[in-house]
Amino acid sequence: MSLCRYLPVPSDRMAIIWSLLSVKNSLVLEYGPAGTTHFSMGLYGTLGIDFENRLFTTHMSEDDVVMGDVTRLENAIKELDASYEPEVIFVVASSVSAVIGTDIKGVCNYMQNEVKAKLVSFEQGGFRGDYGIGLNEVYKLLVKNLPQKSDKIDGSYNILGASMGRYRMESDVWEVQNLMRDAFGMQPVACLCCDTTVEQIKNMAAVSLNLVFCSEALEAAEYLKEKFGTPYVYCPPYGYKKTMAFLQQVSAAAGKPIAPALMAELGKKTRNFGMLGMYAMMGGLKKRPQAVVKADYDTVCCIAEFLKEAGFDVTHKICSHALKSVMNPVPDVKFYADEKERLDIFRSLQNTLVLADDVSIMQCDNTNTCLRISAPVINGSQVATHLPFMGIKGADYLMETIELYYQQLY
Amino acid sequence: MTINGKDLVAKLKPLSSVESIKDIPQLTQAMFPGTHCPLMGAAMAVGGIKGALLVVVGTDECTYYTKSMTLHSERFGGPGGRCVSVVLDGHDVTFGSTPKMHKAFKEIVAEYKPECVFLVTTCVVEVIGDDYDAIAAELSDAYGIPVMAVHTEHFKCEDHLPGLERTITACFDMMEKVPQNDTANVLGQRMGEFKTTELYKMLVKAGVKIGMQLPAGTTVDEIKNAAAARVNIVVNDIALPLAKKMKARFGIPYVYFNKFVYPDKIYASYKELFEYLGVPLPEEIAAYYNEAKEAVTAAGKALGGVSYIYGNTPYYCFEMNAFLASLGMVPQVIQTNRFSEENDYYVQEILKHTDPLVCKAANIAPMQYVYDELHPWLYMGHEFGARLRKKGIAIVHSDAAGSMLGFEVTNYLLKQITVAAEEAKIYRKEAGL
Repeated sequence: MSLCRYLPVPSDRMAIIWSLLSVKNSLVLEYGPAGTTHFSMGLYGTLGIDFENRLFTTHMSEDDVVMGDVTRLENAIKELDASYEPEVIFVVASSVSAVIGTDIKGVCNYMQNEVKAKLVSFEQGGFRGDYGIGLNEVYKLLVKNLPQKSDKIDGSYNILGASMGRYRMESDVWEVQNLMRDAFGMQPVACLCCDTTVEQIKNMAAVSLNLVFCSEALEAAEYLKEKFGTPYVYCPPYGYKKTMAFLQQVSAAAGKPIAPALMAELGKKTRNFGMLGMYAMMGGLKKRPQAVVKADYDTVCCIAEFLKEAGFDVTHKICSHALKSVMNPVPDVKFYADEKERLDIFRSLQNTLVLADDVSIMQCDNTNTCLRISAPVINGSQVATHLPFMGIKGADYLMETIELYYQQLY
Repeated sequence: MTINGKDLVAKLKPLSSVESIKDIPQLTQAMFPGTHCPLMGAAMAVGGIKGALLVVVGTDECTYYTKSMTLHSERFGGPGGRCVSVVLDGHDVTFGSTPKMHKAFKEIVAEYKPECVFLVTTCVVEVIGDDYDAIAAELSDAYGIPVMAVHTEHFKCEDHLPGLERTITACFDMMEKVPQNDTANVLGQRMGEFKTTELYKMLVKAGVKIGMQLPAGTTVDEIKNAAAARVNIVVNDIALPLAKKMKARFGIPYVYFNKFVYPDKIYASYKELFEYLGVPLPEEIAAYYNEAKEAVTAAGKALGGVSYIYGNTPYYCFEMNAFLASLGMVPQVIQTNRFSEENDYYVQEILKHTDPLVCKAANIAPMQYVYDELHPWLYMGHEFGARLRKKGIAIVHSDAAGSMLGFEVTNYLLKQITVAAEEAKIYRKEAGL
């Protein structure tokens, strides 16, 4: 990639910070020039993250850069510990401290003796990859540092892989929590990393099941399985069939039956959906429905599968981040490092259902039917926390757009 | 939380002990929100130059935030507009970014056909030492368009103003020797439009044509022809380096007409400007001067003893604080990220009346505890009004002053302070002070 005309793919560091800011009773301290922190507030605000009195910067002077002096960082750690008495201080490197090779981990190690808060260091300065890598790292580091052995709480679960950077993530969490309650009467403990607390993360080992929303959280789930014996289910519930599969897998792992009322509702929706493609073809569509999907890896895979079930030819499955962070990615999901190549795909589309982000949708002409399903959000803002893409409600919502698209094809 | 306001206040230094910016302490080591960076300043400046393309060279993060800032900007042309980036990865950091830049530039020229390009480098580029001055010169030669490098590493400066300063100074390279006309250039207006100012109205009344307005809104052609001006009006310190260069190369004098609030200073600046222009001073100016003097006398009676903390405003920091101190107001803390010898006169003026504490700006989180110690009546700058009200403090609004120059600045300031002081009386009662 050389020229970037729109927004670049967010870095590992950005994902680490937006995830950590979602963990209450903790503070985030950036060791780097203050301007980056100030500039970043705009993004975190649009993601719905509360960062007031949570996000701090040390700033850095030329002396710090040239001489490698970390006094400023040491003092800032002591100051935050004394002033805010947080349970945890996450100390995050900047691109500058990463390039000059500041040993953030080392500083945290020796400073740990001088402060009450637990210090957790993140040395990624934005050069290890994009936000996919950052999410993978942050989930791993959190589960390795915070959860403690505790008595099991029957009927409880954690969510892993709920990134606040993902469009409508809070809505998806809300929908899955509702499903878990209605289907099994189960209650959530921690959610990495969306509206959770240090206390909840410490208590992660108490649950009977972990739900994994994305591939980036699989290593963390494996770690928790190995260390605390907690099984996990990795089946993001997009679409009716996948929601059914998700419930069945949870049922098997938790040893609880699915509530009959929910099963009946989902069964009916699944049957109706199965007829959709057939009716559409009988109605005289001018062409075979085709779609393009661009989003995070798991969203792309699952929504593309849902569309395929509805009779779509999904011509492009485009991942918003590099596939380095995905374990065994399927070959037909592509990441385009070259922005132009990706933009050209969207510019060439005609009479297509486009499920993507605002920048991609902006490239499409008006013969296409478009729905925003992923970040970045440029037009308007994300306010609601009850409009999911996951679960029954999410599938219903996608169905409305599919029906709208069909109307354009008659 | 256990922040001790007394300890914080004890860390601050009195103004009398400050000799350079290094003597001004940060209120705390851990800051929120921290200052803006010069990259943002550079972006603001390029936004004001039609036909110029902003190319940010840096990490995903720096480029992401800068692009985000321009997404809804009409000046930049929205999401597909004239802000693009060259994003550096680990490979570029190790082996240099020159090949990537050359490749990207080819695409830039083909797709955007820019009249000029600013290559704005960020912290990492400066740390790895890529020579963007040389790269800009090479690209300029290769493509026959002006390409300027603007360095915006934040670890060498305190806020975003150097980014503005360096960008407008870089425009000097585009200026050509051209025959003189009777225009006046306006240099350094950061916010608002010049044509809404009192100064503009007086110039128009006197028949003076305005030339280049950098960075308030100009074109590449206007920059190329800027040396035709009879005089440069410098309305902010950020334009001083450019004005000095233009004086040295083209012999164009400049008048320093900052956002002054002392009526005498404003009157003197008007006189100096119109003398250079060789046209008589419009009659209204003397009348405005007298009105402003009367407003000062009237306000002085009401504002004596009113204390305040100075944050960040469009005014000329030390001149404005000296003016308020001369009215009997009490600056308890002055937050500033700039301090130089040019401030000496006004510092001495302040010290004749009082010796306020000083600290760096843009750290409002711990400032809450300073309010609890000092109980100021007013806060000047950006803060959260409801939060301050609970502490018995009223905000003095100042953003509108961004697009003012002349006696209107004095009148506006006095009006805002008088209103806020009345509000503070109520708020202090509510807070039991």
